[in-house]
Order: sequence, then structure tokens, then C-alpha cells
Amino acid sequence: MSDEKKPDQQSTGQSSIRRSTSSRSSGRSRKKKKNQLPIGIAVLAVVVLIAILLGMKNELLAFFWITGIAFGYILQRARFCFTAAMRDPMLTGGTSLTKAVLIAFAFTSIGFIAIKYGAFARGLPIPGQGYVVPVSFATVVGSFMFGIGMVIAGGCASGTLMRVGEGFLMQVLSLFFFVIGSLWGAHDFGWWKLHVIMKGKAIFLPDLFGWIGAVIIQLLVIVLLWIAADKWEKHKNA
Amino acid sequence: MAIKDNEYYKKFLKEAWPYVTGAVLLSLFQIVTLAVTGSPWGVSGILANWGAWLYQAVGGSVDKWYYFASEGAQRTLENGILNHGGSMRNFGIIFGALLATLLASGFKIKKIKSWKQVVAAILGGLLMGYGARIGFGCNIGALFSGIASFSLSGWVYAVFLFIGAMVGSKLLVKFFM
Amino acid sequence: MKEVELDCYGEACPVPLVKAQNKLKELEVGDVLIVQLDHSCAMKNVPEWARKEGHNVEVEEIDDGEWEVVIEKMK
Repeated sequence: MSDEKKPDQQSTGQSSIRRSTSSRSSGRSRKKKKNQLPIGIAVLAVVVLIAILLGMKNELLAFFWITGIAFGYILQRARFCFTAAMRDPMLTGGTSLTKAVLIAFAFTSIGFIAIKYGAFARGLPIPGQGYVVPVSFATVVGSFMFGIGMVIAGGCASGTLMRVGEGFLMQVLSLFFFVIGSLWGAHDFGWWKLHVIMKGKAIFLPDLFGWIGAVIIQLLVIVLLWIAADKWEKHKNA
Repeated sequence: MAIKDNEYYKKFLKEAWPYVTGAVLLSLFQIVTLAVTGSPWGVSGILANWGAWLYQAVGGSVDKWYYFASEGAQRTLENGILNHGGSMRNFGIIFGALLATLLASGFKIKKIKSWKQVVAAILGGLLMGYGARIGFGCNIGALFSGIASFSLSGWVYAVFLFIGAMVGSKLLVKFFM
Repeated sequence: MKEVELDCYGEACPVPLVKAQNKLKELEVGDVLIVQLDHSCAMKNVPEWARKEGHNVEVEEIDDGEWEVVIEKMK
């Protein structure tokens, strides 16, 4: 994307694509672009101020706030979208986000396993095991519902929050109903737990394959998926 | 020269980063998050708490619900949203994205265009909210953090998420475009 | 030689890209498609797709958060 040409606004003739002047928006009387940078700097000041205030109350709260800012900033700047990674291979044939998500999986796995093994080797409780959850029919139904929902709403949970920040009113609405849906799911959770989730089992891959085995298998799967995604895109564009 | 033509401004604040840059930086902050808080990044579980607070605000009670029955869940609810780290992080995502668009001078309020968008937003939001609760999370908590935590559940989630996304794409093209 | 404008303001992913793909199929080689959008993700994925397909692509920022992706159909 680095080769993206930024056409000079003044010299319409430089464009390599011939457009009739009537349709060219630069030919129309267009609004003068405002520079939003000052507002951006003001928001930055507010962000820093909130971080300081939270830090005085509780350092961990400030940490959560700052990492949230970082996640939001990164998602927006890179236009990173987990929804598109799952949707685009079939819908539009593009897999560049799918491949990027796989790269994120690989790097994060390496970092996580280092932290987890470090704790294990020193006889400490392994952190983050709360995210190793039972596999059951509820996983199947839940992820299937989530997959449908994120595509029609135009963004998953993180994507919806990011697009609220970008000014999408549609996503404000879907965030509200996401919250309502969560409440509904939480209300029914006891039933799912008793009838479905309890039948499943949480499986931590190192328990199954050993630490080194789990790392090798997981990274191998990620690499194979990356290759499959790459081949898929070439096949679709051939 | 105006700041918006400055090459460093364009590079650092304006132009979109390659997806891979995003992947590497997200991984970095995921690892930092696990190291500092003892838990990976999650988004949607926090939204269930928002629902509970909202429900309490209109006079409802979730105390009897299995999901909020544990002592830890009750304490989180009692402490309120302003003392909830996860909520701060979710607000941070909104503000981080806002900051990024403003610094790039690309912010615009995008109004809802049609009734189709309203229906899509409501239906999609409800499906995601409910699905995330029974599936133990969203693309972040169950998929990204689940896989990176070497949990089999993350991979199972990925498979059926993908199938769901295919069905969703068909519905989107047919009814919501 | 036709020039077609495609209004995708207010549309979220993947609608602009799918609309652009469908529209471009209807056009002849040499025609120009102008996709107007205000979704920052589409501002990245529409040009990326069109370049990969081998068309001539230019992105013009016409206002804060509004872009025109100009695609000249090459094949």
C-alpha cells in the first residue's frame, strides 16, 4: 500500500486517469477542508489527563485505559479488522487481513507460551488459564451466531468500538444491541452451562502434546493456514 | 509548508499502516497485557457487565443469575463501571480510534443511511452479544486470546466463526445491501 | 468511454467493495468507476483489490474522512 499515489489537489492535469472535469470533484466548488489536527491534540490532552487521574486512584486502571487507547489506535491506523479476516476470503477473495491475523496469532502465541511456561517452570500458577474454556456445542452455536452477527453488523466487538470512535452511528446502535444481547446471553447462561457446557472439556494444548509439541503443532497449523490463504487469493484472482 | 504536507506527519499520523504492522503491534500489547494483568485481552465479557449495570439502572436485578452469581462477579458489579479495568480499556479503544482519526484529519460523523442498516445493526448486535456469552467471548477473547492461550476452544471457535461469516455474507448480500 | 459514480457514503465494509466489484463487471475496458466512500477501511480495501486485479487506481481525499477511489478498468 506504500505505493499509493496522492494526487496533487491543485494540478488536476497530472492524474494518469482521464476524468471529465464535470465529474471531477476538484472541479466543483468544494468545501474547504478543515484541519482536525488541533481537535486531535485537544483529545490527546484529555486522554493523557484521564490517564493521570486514573493513575492517582489506581495504577492498574490507568494501565487498562492506556492499553485500550493503544489497541484502538492500532486497530484504526492499520484498519485491522477481524471480521474482514473471516469474511473476505469467501466474499471478495481477499486474504491479506486473514494472513495478518494469522501472523498476530503466531507472535502472540510465542509471547504467551513464554509467560505461561515461565510461571510453570517456577512452580507458580500459570496466568491467563481462565481463557482456556470448555469446548462444547455451546462453542459451536455461539461462534456461529457471532460469525453471522459480525458480518451483518459490519464489525465484531473490537471493530464496533473502533467504528464508534470513527463516528459511525450505525455502530453505536449495534454496540447498544450487543450489550442487550450480552445481557440476554448472561441471563440464559445458567441453562447453557447445566445442559451443554458441562458436557464439554477445557483442553490446554500443552497438556495434550507437551509444551514443545504444542508450540510446534500450533505454529505449523498457522503456517499451513497462511499458505492456504495465500494460494486461495492467487486462485481467486487467476 | 502546511503540516498536512509534511512527510513525517503523513508517515506517522496520516497514512494507513500495513496490516502486518498492526498484527505485530497488537501482539506486542497482548503480551504486555498478559504479563501485567495476568489475563489476555478481552472485549465482550465487559459488555455483559455493561448490560448488567444498565439493567440495574432501570430497576432490574441480576443477583439471581448464574452468570453473575460468583463472588468476584458480584464485587465487580458493586464497584461500578468507573473502577472496572476492562471498561476503561473498552472506552480506551473508542477514544484511541477517535484520536487516530482526528490526528489524521479524517473524522466524520456517518449517519445511518437506511432502515436496512438499522435492522442489520440490531440483529447483528443481538446475535453477537448472545453468541459471545455462550461461546465464551468474541473475536478477541475467544478467538485471538483463546488461540494464543493454546486453548483448543479457540480453534473450534475459529472454524464455526468462519462458517457463520459465510452464512452472514450470503444474508448481507441478499437482504442488507 | 463512460464515467460512473458509485455513492457508498455511509456504507460499512464490505458493502463498498462488493458494490464496486459488481459495478466494475458491468463496465467496458477503458471506462472509469468513481467510488465515493467515507469508511476508512473501505478506503484501504477497495484500492487494494482494484490494484491486485490490475486496474489503474487513484485515491483522492475530497474532504475530512471522505474519499473518491478512481478506478480505470484495464481488462
